[in-house]
Amino acid sequence: MKVEAIEYGDRKVYSVGAFNRGVASWLQRLPTVWVEGEVTELRRSDRWASVFFTLKDPQDGSCLGVSIARGQFDALRLELSDGDRVHAYGRPELFEARGEFRLRALSLERFGLGDHLAALERLKAKLAAEGLFAAERKRPLPLLPTRIGLVTGNDAAAKRDVLTAVTTRFPPANVLVAETYVQGPRAAGAVVEALRALCREGVDVLVVARGGGSFEDLLPFSDERLVRAIAECPVPVVSAVGHEQDTPLCDLAADVRASTPSVAGRLVVPDLAQLLERLERSRAGLERGTRRSLDRERRRLDGTHERLARAPRLLLERRRAKLEQAGGRLRALSPRSTLERGYAIVRAGDEIVRSPQAVQPGDPVEVEVAEGSFGARVEERT
Amino acid sequence: MTFEEAQKELEAIVHRLESGEAPLDEALKLWERGEELYRFCRGRLETAEGKIEELASRAEATKP
Repeated sequence: MKVEAIEYGDRKVYSVGAFNRGVASWLQRLPTVWVEGEVTELRRSDRWASVFFTLKDPQDGSCLGVSIARGQFDALRLELSDGDRVHAYGRPELFEARGEFRLRALSLERFGLGDHLAALERLKAKLAAEGLFAAERKRPLPLLPTRIGLVTGNDAAAKRDVLTAVTTRFPPANVLVAETYVQGPRAAGAVVEALRALCREGVDVLVVARGGGSFEDLLPFSDERLVRAIAECPVPVVSAVGHEQDTPLCDLAADVRASTPSVAGRLVVPDLAQLLERLERSRAGLERGTRRSLDRERRRLDGTHERLARAPRLLLERRRAKLEQAGGRLRALSPRSTLERGYAIVRAGDEIVRSPQAVQPGDPVEVEVAEGSFGARVEERT
Repeated sequence: MTFEEAQKELEAIVHRLESGEAPLDEALKLWERGEELYRFCRGRLETAEGKIEELASRAEATKP
């Protein structure tokens, strides 16, 4: 639509009507969108062609006037009352007669907790199917982090709880804190940005801490962008969002879920006293073990030395034993032992008598027995 | 090397030494390495400064 201006010299001036028509026609070019908010100040009259209400943003209180055709509104049978959450589908419009801007709704849907939950369940199923929550993705926390990154709201409680728990257990801990929005429409993006900024600064573990809140307060922590950012973090993430019974999706994507900010603080650092004790125990073991090894080697050396010293005597004894054995065998073979068993040697002259034919009756012979010898004479030959 | 890796190796060395299976040469080498790991771990604990910083103020400080 062409909007005519009146010219006063070099100044172009529009009438109110023309201005409103111009803005209205420009607004008509904007797309039709869904807007979410809470219904307040609902005004309906059988005399009016439209029903009017105000949509309020529960996070920051922004307001938007809405109109919808009465017939359309009645047909929906929504029976809305103040505070009900709706999704309005429509486009911006200017009520030219009054210069009032509002949303001209074509349709309206009630959007309650149940819808939120259903949407959340759908997102959860989708991310789970992608494996974002899989147990094998979970990384162990470093035993001794060089620097801990903490994402928290500027409400002191969660931040203080984490820091107190960390420094009580491990006083020399280094912590880099990113304070950010943890509530409202900007929270999800802000937390993602804080996570990235901390990673760029260099941290080796991250804690996302937020105290308890209403279901809606915690919704940013189920935002797809935030959940993905946590799953994709280059370092392990501990999530401590809300209370035990809340399970925002970020808890599922994190490597470790802590029930409270204090628990998260205790999880990311070791107990310094215990750590020192364990280290000193190791050192004592190191000395003890080395000494044991030395002692054993010394004993072995001593044993070897002793055996070395014993070696010549052993050799001698072995020789002597051998000699005795030979002596025994020699004795066993000599005629003396035979004589000792009662045998006798008979000699005629220098010859040993082995046959009766070697002597004649009356011949003198010499008889040798074990203990000596005596002379004898042959009596007869058989 | 991380603190954790150092601690793990140190404890493995102690275990090996206490088992009494290491020959002398190895035992002495293990002891040397163990001492080195012990000093590393102590060092890591002693150099941690206990610094709590705000990212926002850091960003301010690094601005030109």
